[in-house]
Amino acid sequence: MTLNNLSNNVHRRIINGIPSSPGLVLAKAILFQPDLEFTYKDQITADQIQDNLDRLDIALNDTISDLYTVLNKIGENKEEITQVIESHLMILKDDYFIDLIRNQIKSGTSVEKAIVDEFDKQSNLLLKSKDLLLKERAYELEQIKDRLLLSLRNKCILYEAAKDLIVVAKSLSPADVIKFHDAGAKGFITEVGGITSHSSILARNLAIPMIIGVIHALEFIKENNEIILDGYSGQIVINPDEVSIRKFNEKLKKEEDRLKIYGEIKDVKSETKDGKYIRLMANIDIAKDIDNAMIFGAEGIGLVRSEHLIITLNRIPTEEEQYQWYKSIVERAYPQPVTIRGFDIGTDKFSMGVHKHEKNPALGFRGIRYLLAEPIVFKSQIRAILRASVNRNLNFMLPMITCFEQILKAKELIYEVMDELCRNDISFDENLQIGVMIETPAAVMIAEKLAEVSEFFSIGTNDLTQYTLAVDRSNEFVSNLFDSFHPSVLLMIKKTAEAAFSKNIPVSVCGELAGHPAATKLLIGLGINQLSVSPPNLLDLKRRVLEIDYSEAKIFAEDLLKVTNCENIREKLSINK
Amino acid sequence: MIEKEVLIVNRAGMHTRPASQVVKLASKFKSEISLERDGFVINAKSIIGVMTLAAEQGAKLKLIIKGDDENQAMEELCKLFESGFGEDI
Repeated sequence: MTLNNLSNNVHRRIINGIPSSPGLVLAKAILFQPDLEFTYKDQITADQIQDNLDRLDIALNDTISDLYTVLNKIGENKEEITQVIESHLMILKDDYFIDLIRNQIKSGTSVEKAIVDEFDKQSNLLLKSKDLLLKERAYELEQIKDRLLLSLRNKCILYEAAKDLIVVAKSLSPADVIKFHDAGAKGFITEVGGITSHSSILARNLAIPMIIGVIHALEFIKENNEIILDGYSGQIVINPDEVSIRKFNEKLKKEEDRLKIYGEIKDVKSETKDGKYIRLMANIDIAKDIDNAMIFGAEGIGLVRSEHLIITLNRIPTEEEQYQWYKSIVERAYPQPVTIRGFDIGTDKFSMGVHKHEKNPALGFRGIRYLLAEPIVFKSQIRAILRASVNRNLNFMLPMITCFEQILKAKELIYEVMDELCRNDISFDENLQIGVMIETPAAVMIAEKLAEVSEFFSIGTNDLTQYTLAVDRSNEFVSNLFDSFHPSVLLMIKKTAEAAFSKNIPVSVCGELAGHPAATKLLIGLGINQLSVSPPNLLDLKRRVLEIDYSEAKIFAEDLLKVTNCENIREKLSINK
Repeated sequence: MIEKEVLIVNRAGMHTRPASQVVKLASKFKSEISLERDGFVINAKSIIGVMTLAAEQGAKLKLIIKGDDENQAMEELCKLFESGFGEDI
């Protein structure tokens, strides 16, 4: 056996990172290690000043024209990407900032040291911020700095070499991501970088699988190693064996089938024929459902049922367990918003260690009633929620509200926890949006009052139907009476929507009705502008939205509400029981 | 010279995109335009400056404008801040 054969015959190795852009790819690796370690002198003599100023201008012009090339390569409808690159251009053209570098050179500092000094000064200012997003921007300043330094040394990067390969790097700038994509790279692995960084957002936008935070990736992965990159789980298989490859192919086949069905309309804007935008979101129970939701084009997560954690663990999770779970969800969905609902757990679902048996759990100790009665549990949930809210894409929802005071009491506890966090210097979103789940007739009847102290409403149609009609759906003797299209339920939805409009807060429907084929036109006609359904229902829902004419739907809903007979309503909506 | 207090109303605060909008608009005017936060003053025509203000939702900033077109500049910049940079509030 030759040495060459030996090196090709290396063992399989699995390493893990944080999945930051979904997708599956099997390809060879290329290591991207721009040579940034170099020495330069700090001070220059008077006769070198002009030369250093000129070199600065050349490096700036180089980098700027390079970014313009990137900008031109970005297709239409990619406003988000365009803005990222434009903001980098603005930094390079920021006279006030560049003058700081020029002034340093004029006083005898070398162009290299002046660039490093001034960029580091600004990065450090940003790094001191409590704001995680601003910290990410500090890393981008680093990347712009590195790009300038490379240009000063006349080094350019051969992006084309990455065609059909997986790029492994310490970090990647947004421009790198676009250029590698353009050159035909198949995936990205980086040692550092945040899931909320522009580079991660770009990779998601360009649909290139990416895994970040892979410690020592550049040591474990060698040039030309074959790699399986799983952007769903964050797993990397280096030198996969036959079994791994077979499993990969099976997974890939499934993914391709799924994308074939849904790919086309995923990126179509969800609006009615006459241009009313309807935000379509997903309800999820487990973190990995987010990928499905995003593949199907969800614009946010409308409902995370936090009690899922209790059910899985069969106990109340610790603050840390909750924090990790919430964090993984909000980061994965970023920049889309995520609404997490406080524990809504009844004795029907969970009895261990919570409270004793109840005769009628649906009318019992659940939702906000339980949370307010168990402040230790509630406060630990609030702490976890607040800690996970730093990226400002988390909304918190209170379940089972029946009284105005319940919201005030919950908010009091939330503010208390905010004070504690402030004292301990822990960051959170001071403007955490706190909303209310409208799922009881009581809440509907006082909805206008509730809207005064809520930042959003979400209608849970299953419970609202159960409580309005006094029907337990799981009771076979009466389950045939369970009907979310009952005129009383529809009037409840209408009243809730009107209350929300009067206070100008968003109102969504996140119950089963949101995904019912016959309900879409009706709900939109009633003024609902956000619908949240389980991920697989998203695309069918979008297809229906695209077919609807809003002005017609309004009249349709109005007429329908005049019908008092349940059978007639069903007939008009062509629903077969 | 004129001064006015402005409030950051959009949810995500003055991150990259809003900061670019402020700089773009400020650069259209001849006047000197500064933003002050808790005694920290920056040039509103400098993207780096505006970014380092780290202004989150609810932050109060002081707009200080001096020059021939100060009134026009104040009016347009205030409008931009009030609109929440066209983002979710």
